This record gives sequence, structure tokens and C-alpha cells, in this order.
Amino acid sequence: MTQNGRVILGMQGVTKIYGSGDAATRALDNINFDARAGEVVVIMGPSGAGKTTFLTIAGALLRPTSGTVTVSGLNITEMGEKNLPEVRRDRIGFIFQSFNLLDSLTSLENVTLVMTPDRSRGKAGVNRARELLDMLGLSHRVKSLPKNLSGGEKQRVAIGRALANNPDLILADEPTANLDSKRGREVMLLLRQIAYEMDKSVVIVSHDHRIREVASRIVWLEDGTFRSDVETARDPVCNRVIEVVGAPQTEHIGVLFYFCGEQCQRIFAENPTKFAEAG
Amino acid sequence: MLIVARKNLFSERTRLAISVGGIALAVFLIGVLLSLYRGWENKVGGFVEDSNVDVWIANEGAKDFLAAASLLPYDPSLGVDPCQQQIQAALQDPNRRSQAQKFPVQDIRECRPLIVRQMEGLKVEIQSGGEEKILKKMNLQFVGYDAGTQLGGPLRIVEGSTDAPKDNEVVVDEALGKRYGVQVGDTLKAGGRDWNVIAKSGGGDFVAAQTVFVSLDAAADALGFNDAKKTTFYVIRLKDGIDAKAFADGVDIPGVHALDRSAFASNTKDRILSNVLPILAVVLLLAFIVGLSVAGLTIYTATVEKSREYGILKAVGFRNSYLYRAVLEQSIVTGFLGFVIGIGLMLIIGPFAADVVPQFVIFTRWQDVLAVAGATLVMAGVAAYIPVRRLASIDPVAVFKA
Repeated sequence: MTQNGRVILGMQGVTKIYGSGDAATRALDNINFDARAGEVVVIMGPSGAGKTTFLTIAGALLRPTSGTVTVSGLNITEMGEKNLPEVRRDRIGFIFQSFNLLDSLTSLENVTLVMTPDRSRGKAGVNRARELLDMLGLSHRVKSLPKNLSGGEKQRVAIGRALANNPDLILADEPTANLDSKRGREVMLLLRQIAYEMDKSVVIVSHDHRIREVASRIVWLEDGTFRSDVETARDPVCNRVIEVVGAPQTEHIGVLFYFCGEQCQRIFAENPTKFAEAG
Repeated sequence: MLIVARKNLFSERTRLAISVGGIALAVFLIGVLLSLYRGWENKVGGFVEDSNVDVWIANEGAKDFLAAASLLPYDPSLGVDPCQQQIQAALQDPNRRSQAQKFPVQDIRECRPLIVRQMEGLKVEIQSGGEEKILKKMNLQFVGYDAGTQLGGPLRIVEGSTDAPKDNEVVVDEALGKRYGVQVGDTLKAGGRDWNVIAKSGGGDFVAAQTVFVSLDAAADALGFNDAKKTTFYVIRLKDGIDAKAFADGVDIPGVHALDRSAFASNTKDRILSNVLPILAVVLLLAFIVGLSVAGLTIYTATVEKSREYGILKAVGFRNSYLYRAVLEQSIVTGFLGFVIGIGLMLIIGPFAADVVPQFVIFTRWQDVLAVAGATLVMAGVAAYIPVRRLASIDPVAVFKA
């Protein structure tokens, strides 16, 4: 299944050079990139490929040397430094490898803290934070401090914080790196759910190959340039993640479904409603 | 208060206690020193301010009550009212006489000599063999005053006889009783004579010395002033409606100084406090620096320790101004708690200390409490300012590193 939503994160001709002269390092080299609503884009690549630079530029934390970056249609490269915090708070949700929760704040407070004043006014903020934590399966942990949470729970609180202001774009940096395989998978599925059901664009930077499972697209970044941009989909029958290009496909009630082979396509055709709902 | 500020502040109880303790100590010291200064100021100047003397006449250069250098001519044979006769007759120099025409005697209701001398006094006890045993040594502000007009005499009698002291009788200040255990009926040795304590008076404590009042004649006799035909001051009560300052300004006798009550009181305060003030200022500054250092260091280390969290806040979209506010609020709350504890300690410990050490005279004015609050606010503000550069330099990108 693929999504063809609006572009949330757009990068055109983005280059980032650190240093100058002989010491200059080209971390990103004229890259073009789109991430759309409803899709999970996984950016993979070796260490030093420019993944963190990509993420920080996308997150309005670092300015590119050249090129244009848009978030929800807003050209953030043209904006003044003092306006960027507002963009980060309103339009982008961050998920970090080491969770980065505030130690002295409870789960609920970590989520409500980042809410913009219009969202946190009165009890509205607390109610929304409770709803988010409830949705993330943490209703019993609202008053817990981070030190009393498991890694998976911490990451779910971090996801709640990322969603607090209902941003269009979620940027996740190695979100499963500090989690065991079970918790990591839970988080991956949660991110996919957020993208699909809440119509967010989720961009994940990761070394973890397991995360391909939830990816709509996988982008390979190396030496500051994209080597490949592979659109993926999940076979609704066998549940495997497959590359879209060249895969057998079937349209059902306006949505394209891709299959690992003709056998799965045939099985789908026998009862499309059952598999479409499951997918 | 921002939740980040509140949680950061109260989650580290030990650090908070150190920080609050440092400020409380500084506030306590500043408060006590200010109150001590006010207490001394009140005590030292209080007697002159509350006295029934409108104008003080002294030798030129002797401008306050504690000035023992004042010696003016006084001939007891010319009678006790000296204004016209004594001053003019004593100033025999023809030039002085002509100048003395500028002494507006018509404005004077009463004028009397007043003998004042600082001296050591002894509290003695007569042993069974008739020998004297010295029980206490004390500094006295020995005052001989005219019993008829009471000019320059005790402000009020708090214990004992209300009659003016006669020969060998003395009225002692209550502070002398409190400090040295001098009671009505005791014997004091001063000026080579024994004095029988007949009463205690109030308002004559000069901290370093306390007033004792004897009759003018007895004082002159004891100090040999009759033979020398001298007095320390002339004290004047003016007729109703006469402005004391204008009168004092109108007196123009070479070698003689006239001061109205408030100027004389102010000079008396200055004599003691001008010496104390620089020391006090240094100690106040040190106390301020101690408070500032403790608050500054603890706020700074707390900021450094939480710099990753501040980086997270920056990354997720908080402005530097939010971080500054969080640090400032922590600092101000710390300052407020330190202020409350410091002032509380001062109010509790001050009276106890005053009981134990009589020289520990404190007087707390609300204006001074306000000043201490201001100093605390400055402490908190500066302490919060120290980590500002650190906050500004935190790179939010660093939070992406695991």
C-alpha cells in the first residue's frame, strides 16, 4: 500500500559544508528529497554519511550552506534565526535515540511541557497529554519519572512529546537503537501507525535494518548524497516488506497493493477485502 | 513559575539547601550588621536628640557630646545663669567682647553650664575589713548638670528616686545596670570619689559608654573645674517660637561653636559611626560576596549539570529567553527562601544576642529589611546572569548524539 499525500518535508539542492579551505568537509552534497504525509521514510547509511546533518537541517537546527528546505510548505531556509524555534515547536516532532526526556518531570509533564501556549491553556494541555499517553499505552505511567520507566516506555513518552503539538513532520534519530528487539518493534509499529493513521510524515534515520519493515521508502545516504531511493510496501498477504518497483500490483477500492510474487497476488484476489483490512 | 525551573530547583534538595543556606547566611549577616548600625545610631545619637537642650555651645572644633576637648570659661562666682554674664565676662578679650554682641541673649529662656567627661568608673564592694574590692570596671559618660533647669540631665527616671542627685549621689543609665549589674544603692567610684547610686535613668546608652548624672557642683568639684573656672558646654533652652538652627547660626563668638540639637546629635553619631562605617561597609560587602558566590556557584553548576536538558529544550523549540527565565526563576526563588530564612534568623537570634552581649544593640527598620531584600534580589539576579553565556552556547544539535 502506498500513500500519495502532500509534501511535508522538501529539500532542493541542499548542500552542507563544514569548515573551509582545505579543511572543508561536504556533509551533504546537492541533495533533493521529499517526504509526504502518511509515509515513513527511512534514511540509512554508514557512519559519517551525513545522516545526522540531514536530520538537523530538516529539523531547522542547522542551516544548509546552500539549497532550500521546506516544512509543511514553509521555506525555513529563508527564515530568521529567531523564528526557527517556533517552527521546531509547532511543525516538527523530535524523537531521539536516547529518549531525551527531562529527568525531573513526569511522563505527563514531559508531554505537556512542549505544548504551545494555545494548546496547553487551562486543562486542555493536560487532557491532550493524557490522551496521547493513553493512546501510547502509558495511561498507568502518567505520573512516573523517566528513571522509573523502561526504555520502551521512555521512547513512547518521547513519541507522545513529539506529537504534543500535532506537527506534520516527525523526525526520529535511531529510535530503536537503545531498545531490545521486542520494544524496538513496538516503537517501529507505533511510528508506522502514526504516519498512516494520523497522516504524518515520519522520517527515520537509522542503522537498524529491522526498521525497513515499517518503511514506505528507504533512502540510502552515503558520502552526503543519496545512492538510491527505494519505495517499499508491505505485502498484505505474507506481510513482507518489498520494493515497489517491479513488484506485482493490484488495485482495490482505489488503493494499490504490492506483492512479493504472483502467488500472494492470487491469494489476495480471492478475498481482497480480508487482506486489505488486515493491511 | 515555569515547571522546568520548579522541578530543577526542588529535585536537588541538597544543592537547594546549600544555595539557600548561603544566601540566608549572607542575608542574616547583612541584616544583623544593618540593624546593629541602626541600633548604635539610635543609641549614640538618642540622648542628644531626646534631650531638652535646644542649642549646645562648645569650643570651636568640639562639635559633639563625646568631645572631651571642649573647655569653656565658667566662673561659678558669677551665678549659675551664665548666658549674659558668664560668656561675656569670661571672654575678656576686647575683640571677643565686641564679637559677643552677636550672641542673641534675648532669645534664650534658660542657659546653664554642663560638665561632660569620659572616664573610667569602678563598681566596688566594701569588704568586712573595710577594704574595697573592685567588682567591675566600666566606661562612663560622666555628666554634671543643673538640677534646677534639668538641662542636659537624665531623659527619664526608670527606677529609684526622682529627686535630682545631691552631693555624692549619682543617677546611672539602665544600660549600665544591665551590663555591669549596677543597682540602686550600689557604690560607684569615679573621678576620685565614691558615688551612691540613687536611681536609674533611660536613654543614655552610648554603647561604648553609659551616662551617669551628678549635680553640677559635685561634678565641678570632683573634676577640679571650679578652680579652673571651666565648663564643658553651655546648654540653652530657647524661648518658644525661636528657631534653634537660626539661633545657632547667629552666634558668632571667636573660638566658640553653637550647634542646634539635630546638628549636635548628628555630629555625636558621626564620631562613633564614622569609624565603624568603613568596617561595616567592608563586612557588608564580604557578606554580599559570600551570598553571591554561593548562589552563583550553585546556580551555575546546576545549569552546567542540566545543560543537556536545556539543549533538549532548545532542540524541541524553546527559545533562549525561556531558558534564561528558567534559570532566573530558580535563582529568585532560592534568593527568596534565603531571604526569609536569613531575616527570620536575624529576628530570632538578634534579641538573644542582645541579651547576652549588651553592646549588641540592634534596631531593625522596615526600610533596612527592604534594602536587604533589594540586595538579595541583586544577588539572585547576578547569580542567574553568570550561566547566561553558558546557556546561550549550548548547541541543540548535541542532543542528537547518544
